[in-house]
Amino acid sequence: MAGVPLRRDVVTEQAATLDVPLVELVDRLLNRGVVLTGEVTISVAGVDLIYLGLSVVLSGVDTIRQHGVDI
Amino acid sequence: MSLLLRAIVAAGDAGAAADLGLRSVSGTRAAGLASAWDTGRAAGEAELLDHHRVVQAVFERVPCLPARFGSVFGDEEALRARLALREADLAAQLIRLGHRCELAITCAWREPDAPTRATIAPARTGRAYLERGLTQMRGERARERRAEAIVAHLLSELAIEPACIQHRICPRPAVAVSMSALVTRDAIDELRKCVARLGAQLPDVTTVMQGPWAPYTFAVSE
Repeated sequence: MAGVPLRRDVVTEQAATLDVPLVELVDRLLNRGVVLTGEVTISVAGVDLIYLGLSVVLSGVDTIRQHGVDI
Repeated sequence: MSLLLRAIVAAGDAGAAADLGLRSVSGTRAAGLASAWDTGRAAGEAELLDHHRVVQAVFERVPCLPARFGSVFGDEEALRARLALREADLAAQLIRLGHRCELAITCAWREPDAPTRATIAPARTGRAYLERGLTQMRGERARERRAEAIVAHLLSELAIEPACIQHRICPRPAVAVSMSALVTRDAIDELRKCVARLGAQLPDVTTVMQGPWAPYTFAVSE
């Protein structure tokens, strides 16, 4: 099983300006639902979201950088 | 060509979404519905929302468990092998969740949050720095307490059993409460009215209800 690289726009510029309802949906699409392998395989800049955490992703570029992801 | 998993359905429903152009990979009790996916293709907002549209289309036809976006399998055999490991659990979840839907209830702060540490100018003295941090921390705690009170109010008024509702407080700066409710379709209208009434009683937040969606929050992975 492979992962899907998530384009940068989803986690940086757009995430900062998405309206609240859309973010709620994106949260569920990325963070909930059945995972057959027991692990999240989407990666951002090579870091699996299972380690990054969607809440970190959606909080914007500054917070992501604080967590050591170079974007 | 790889496969991007969209949803899990009962094996008997594997063909119900054939008109959506999905490939079905069946086990004895459950089946995975997937789309062809170019390995290495990057995903953005359009692909995320397309995943939601496909899942919703399946959900409108047959009971299903939505797959978390991003699960790509090399071929049908790889998906079938993973499915076989979880088949009993997935079949049980389909019975428990498949005929129910998820409603998202979100309370967003009407007033913007206090400036974050990253956006305010540096303090000139150590004392000023600490006082500013203390003020900000007190503001955050006050918001958390208010969000907890909102949750308590909503839970006391919404006639939903505890196992069918989940919530988070202050998951993001703009959001006080993010709640997910698992309901049957015949309960949607009543819940919508109830949320609208409760939202009108909360002057400091804007309350929005979304859905019905496939039960993303309640489909567990382990």
